[in-house]
Amino acid sequence: MQSKELRQGISDSIPIVLGYLPLGFAFGVLAGEAGMSTIQATAMSILCFTGAGQYITLGLMQAGGAVITIIVANILVNLRYILFSTSLVPYLKGRVPTITGSLLCYGLTDETYAVSMNRYQDHPPTALYIAGLNFSSHLGWILSTFLGAVLGAYITNPDRLGLNFTLPAMFVCLLVFMIRHRSDVLVALSAALICLLIGHFAPSTMGNLFNIIIATIIAASLGMVINE
Amino acid sequence: MNSSSIWFIIISVSIVSILPRILPVAVLSRFDFPAQLKKWLSFVAPAVLGSLTALYILAPDGYIDLSINNNFIWSFIPTLLVAVRTRSLLYSLLVGMATMALLYNFF
Repeated sequence: MQSKELRQGISDSIPIVLGYLPLGFAFGVLAGEAGMSTIQATAMSILCFTGAGQYITLGLMQAGGAVITIIVANILVNLRYILFSTSLVPYLKGRVPTITGSLLCYGLTDETYAVSMNRYQDHPPTALYIAGLNFSSHLGWILSTFLGAVLGAYITNPDRLGLNFTLPAMFVCLLVFMIRHRSDVLVALSAALICLLIGHFAPSTMGNLFNIIIATIIAASLGMVINE
Repeated sequence: MNSSSIWFIIISVSIVSILPRILPVAVLSRFDFPAQLKKWLSFVAPAVLGSLTALYILAPDGYIDLSINNNFIWSFIPTLLVAVRTRSLLYSLLVGMATMALLYNFF
């Protein structure tokens, strides 16, 4: 029963790992170009599991940005996880020990969040499931970074294989699965619209993903109103 | 940029990316959330998924692209149909990736 949870977590991570391959690989290649050694690029993917934040770091390094700018940009880009992590609390409470659950959130990303929230709609969370999902996803991220840093330009464009559509396809699917009520549809659609509008009128939010935070707060509040 | 500055950046980014992930669960699990807050939080996941999907499909390069050259829109349509009809992640992924690969290689 318990090892089944671990296996389920690992198998649920397969689409995430596939999606991370080209992203982690590209990070490894770009890190080298930005002046990081293979060890540093790989260490960054071990210590930080934050795709957008890592790309921003490289961009700022190459643009000659100050260290403090890089750190502030990463604070902004990671703020949304306060919201994600908080929304996990009602699910984890009483089912996964607090310390364990909190440490496992080291592997919380947009992708692992989406997959696990989908799972919790009809299965209670277990530490082993989260461990299987988060660790294998993280391992995929680390290995693809390492390969990118080592192999660099030897590999041809992974877009040819359609790998750049793995994560979008996964999000589409999880969204379809997660929708149970009319209010969910309205929340998702309004978040989508608000997120794009904010991104359009304040283009910097497209980079630091602040538009996701604002859109989520407005759309979730809208959900409450619809639900009344 | 020298090696020790790069290490300093890596460690700092690590700290600011880990704290917002682990602290809320560590700290807030002690409290009983009111029912209204739980309800609000239950809308966070659909809202995040809606936002992420919209960004990936309609703004794949960081700006909104509604042109017919945006392959993500064309790949989105069959993926959505297959997801709704089969409710299978595997089939949806395969159809989406195959569509994207075809568009990339032949158009």
